[in-house]
Amino acid sequence: MANEVKLHSIKKNETALKVVIYVVSIFFSIMTLFPFVMLICNSYKSTYEVQASTLSLYSKEPLKNLAFNWKQITSKDAFHPGVGFRNSFIVATLSTVLNVYFSCLTAYAITAYEWKLREGFNAMIMAVMMIPGTVTMIGFFQMAYKIGLVNKLSALILPSIAAPMVVFFMRQYLQASLSMEIVQSARIDGAGEFRIFNQIVIPLMKPAIATQAIFAYVGSWNNLFSPMILLTDKNKKTLPVMVSLLNGDIYKKEYGAIYLGLLITVLPLIVVYAFLSKYIVEGVALGGVKS
Amino acid sequence: MRNKRLVNYAKYGYFFSIPFILTFCIFTLYPVIYTFVLGFTDLKGAGNTEWHWLPSVGKNLFTNFTDVLTSKTFHKAFKNTWIIWILNFIPQIGFALLFTAWFTDRRSKVKGTGLFKILFYMPNIITAASMAILFQKLFGYPVGAVNQLFNANQPYNFLINEWPIKLIVAFVQFFQWYGHTMVNLIAGVIGISPEIFEAAEIDGANRVQTFFKVTIPCIRQIMLFVLVTSLIGGLNMFDIPQLLVGAKAANGAALTTNMYIRNQAFDGSYLYNRAAAASVILFLVIVILSAIVFYILRDKDEARLKKLRKQELRAAKKGF
Amino acid sequence: MKKVIASVLSLAMVAALATGCQNGNGGETSAPSNGGSGVDPVPTDSGVEPSDTTATEKQTMTFGTGSEKINLWSFTDEIPKMVGQYVKQKPEFGEKYTVECTIIATDGGAYQTALDNALVAGGDTAPDMYAAEAAFILKYSQGDMAKFAATYKELGIDVDAKIKEADIAKYTIEVGSRGGDLVALGYQATGCAMIYNAEVAKDAFGTEDPAEIEKIVGAGSGNWDKFFEAAAKLKEKGYAAVSGSGDIWNACEKSADTAWIVNGQLNIDPKREKFLDIAKTLKDNGWSNDAAGWSEAWYADMKGEGAQKVFAFFGPAWLINYVMIGNSGGNKAGEGTFGQWRVCAPPVGFFWGGTWVLGNKDTSKKEGVAELIEWITLDSSDTGLQYLWANGSVDWDNDPNTATAKDTVASATVMAKSDGKLDFCGGQNVFPAFIAGNQYASAKAMTQYDETINGYFTDAASQYAEGNVDRDGAIEQFKTNVQDNLSF
Repeated sequence: MANEVKLHSIKKNETALKVVIYVVSIFFSIMTLFPFVMLICNSYKSTYEVQASTLSLYSKEPLKNLAFNWKQITSKDAFHPGVGFRNSFIVATLSTVLNVYFSCLTAYAITAYEWKLREGFNAMIMAVMMIPGTVTMIGFFQMAYKIGLVNKLSALILPSIAAPMVVFFMRQYLQASLSMEIVQSARIDGAGEFRIFNQIVIPLMKPAIATQAIFAYVGSWNNLFSPMILLTDKNKKTLPVMVSLLNGDIYKKEYGAIYLGLLITVLPLIVVYAFLSKYIVEGVALGGVKS
Repeated sequence: MRNKRLVNYAKYGYFFSIPFILTFCIFTLYPVIYTFVLGFTDLKGAGNTEWHWLPSVGKNLFTNFTDVLTSKTFHKAFKNTWIIWILNFIPQIGFALLFTAWFTDRRSKVKGTGLFKILFYMPNIITAASMAILFQKLFGYPVGAVNQLFNANQPYNFLINEWPIKLIVAFVQFFQWYGHTMVNLIAGVIGISPEIFEAAEIDGANRVQTFFKVTIPCIRQIMLFVLVTSLIGGLNMFDIPQLLVGAKAANGAALTTNMYIRNQAFDGSYLYNRAAAASVILFLVIVILSAIVFYILRDKDEARLKKLRKQELRAAKKGF
Repeated sequence: MKKVIASVLSLAMVAALATGCQNGNGGETSAPSNGGSGVDPVPTDSGVEPSDTTATEKQTMTFGTGSEKINLWSFTDEIPKMVGQYVKQKPEFGEKYTVECTIIATDGGAYQTALDNALVAGGDTAPDMYAAEAAFILKYSQGDMAKFAATYKELGIDVDAKIKEADIAKYTIEVGSRGGDLVALGYQATGCAMIYNAEVAKDAFGTEDPAEIEKIVGAGSGNWDKFFEAAAKLKEKGYAAVSGSGDIWNACEKSADTAWIVNGQLNIDPKREKFLDIAKTLKDNGWSNDAAGWSEAWYADMKGEGAQKVFAFFGPAWLINYVMIGNSGGNKAGEGTFGQWRVCAPPVGFFWGGTWVLGNKDTSKKEGVAELIEWITLDSSDTGLQYLWANGSVDWDNDPNTATAKDTVASATVMAKSDGKLDFCGGQNVFPAFIAGNQYASAKAMTQYDETINGYFTDAASQYAEGNVDRDGAIEQFKTNVQDNLSF
């Protein structure tokens, strides 16, 4: 009897908790949609409709405006959605791949091996992570213009090999979940170190790689200031840089086109995110985990 | 036996860190050194590249540093940064932990967690500029959504008053980053072996107990990461306050240290030297605070183990 | 294991896509325009770089086919399109020169940062010719970066005669002069007029005649006394004199007699200081709708849908063309406020905005650069840019943003022979009022720091008007901010 009551109250609590979870989650989900709705509903407005009310969903002639905004974007001589997409795609994809792969490698070097300069190297990475980037930009742009890194996509891609924050994450992750026993047994089986890293350690780190890859991709894709300064050639510009060109003069901003441009910029990102988010959602049953 | 193997593999440690070091030296080393040096020079003025050491122009070597440290505006910026960061970080980590607990709970049968996880990160995909516009319009004056909803007759100008500005900036910052933090934490939880949870379940631990006694300790490493990177990100806060209200609104109510540095360097007088000095100061602050976080959250057992291992290693080396 | 394979595969796919994109469109491989500067420390680069062939089917921002290359840097496509027009108009120019246009938006100061670095680095890729807008032109014409600008004389332009012939607005020359040497000129004239609502005027003052209204608001008096008398009268009838104090700030700022910085010291000109009181008065008396410029409430006031109907805006021709017409809520008389607006001289003269054109002192194409600059800024003939601009006949190609707007230009000679009748202003010829505005405008009290200092000052004023600080506190706050951020 007493047991039944207890069970009953547990069940009741369970339901209450569920309700709370749903209410809070749905509230946050709706909030999340806000900025996207804003982008969408302004992309089919005329500039003057945007100026009159950015948050309203209404437009007098949505289709006509959408067509006009699209024409505005594509007829701007500096704006080529195709070229911009290609450049953004190349920069974001390659820098993400380099970023996560080499960060894993570096983190593995720090975690798995005992070497003399290890602590020093680790401290260096931490220190680099803590350098405020604002002023170092002055030197970087100066250097880039001097030695001709301008208009090279690689100037935006290659630096991501050294991503201290991602190394830090990977190291923390490895410390928690890498068991040296697996590595040892692989060694006994005669596998080389590099192969062990690629075939055993990398798969082990998939959840970490997926999350950091998303962050890196988003960061690289949305990066605006450096590309604006380093990519001056119209054929090298990335999508966000091209959208920035729609701004024009203070008095001649084409807001409808700008929002459509922003929307076009964010859509591929959502696709990439949807693809990678699978790993966050499902989780991966891990084999050799430290217990 | 074990030690010998470790020593033999040491060269891979060096080998695997080469890409990082090389890249760092090519792209980052020069700008970093340049910045550090600038703090001790007289370099200012747009497009100027000629500089002299401060003593050679008759000034104290640390003039730029004392200028920054005694500046009221720097004090204000530093204070603002902390206030806004704390206002955003507490709810951020709180909600991130809560959602992590809810969404990784193996026993609850909440449907749609996958969708929620995906959605919650999405504010981070939107650029800060779009986010800023959204909130500018929401809090518009005299016409704006919030004013129209709550006080259409007596509209309030949120974005020129100090505390509303700070709270709104903190909220947007929270809104953009709680999902990011949650994703990091969830990645940590996913890395935990399911067997641990099974064991906890068998031992009769309830959910709250499981979360605090099993999950949290297991993701301590990731928590450390979240804390340190949030601290660094917080002290470097720039985009949202800059784009939402700017450095000048309400006598600099949203002026952060990073905005202060940029103003020094690019807005007005191009005081590169002072901006560099302020950067070095900010760097030192971050290092000290991070060191404290590291110290507090250090793994005591691990540290002891490490020490032991080192001693062993040394002994082993001597043995050869 | 399956998942590992899947993820490796997808990575491979991504990589393949990346390379595929690059090869896909590369039938012809026109060499990247990177110049043969030779230094290429990044070996993998050629593998990643896309070739520029997708752009061929549309008009690109390169004009002409000649062997001599002119680099033009700008922050909008306005000047590049002018160049396009010129090449069409004078094919010989296109046969001799190729004009490569680089456009970088002003967001976050990106244009200036890139331009500064490019000018300092010099070499083949440095700009030969570049544009600067009112907000930062002083830096390039008189301030830190002025040393890179060529004088128009050095370029070989017969400046004195041409200026006389075209009768260029005085403030444009003041802005573009380094010492006594002209280094920059604008093509627009952005002298401002008072743009007022005739129906409001009729109701409050019994007349809508520009000449009468000028008397009522004290046009050309150099102060705001009469205007505020009028404001009180407007208030009785339930109208706001202006949309927000920001509308008056531009006038106060640009009409000052002394600059913000005098002999390395911060200096607050009385006309600027007066703005503190103006902002407070407007707010306390409800003479404005308290709308900030470029906000939704500001646009609503143009439509006559604000809390109170607004009497006047202050601005140059572009404010009418690109902002007010579109926001009036109509396209012809009778719709919204379209057709209700009139233009007259303002109480205090000033200019607002504009773009100036400069040449690099190190350019090796002096003649070509000079030819373009002269055509844009000094040619007052019927084929000169300014005439086309003033009459809305610049050919903007396929830009659907129909630029048939009649804008005011720097040359009074051109203005005199152009027609400025606007339906938006009830058929009034608006040019005379704007020409008057140009004459009142002055640039002698400007420095390269104005944009920044203005920001601190207007915030101090709004804090004072809001009641957050007292008047002395506002000035104190302003001084501290300038001292700490600009070191003056």
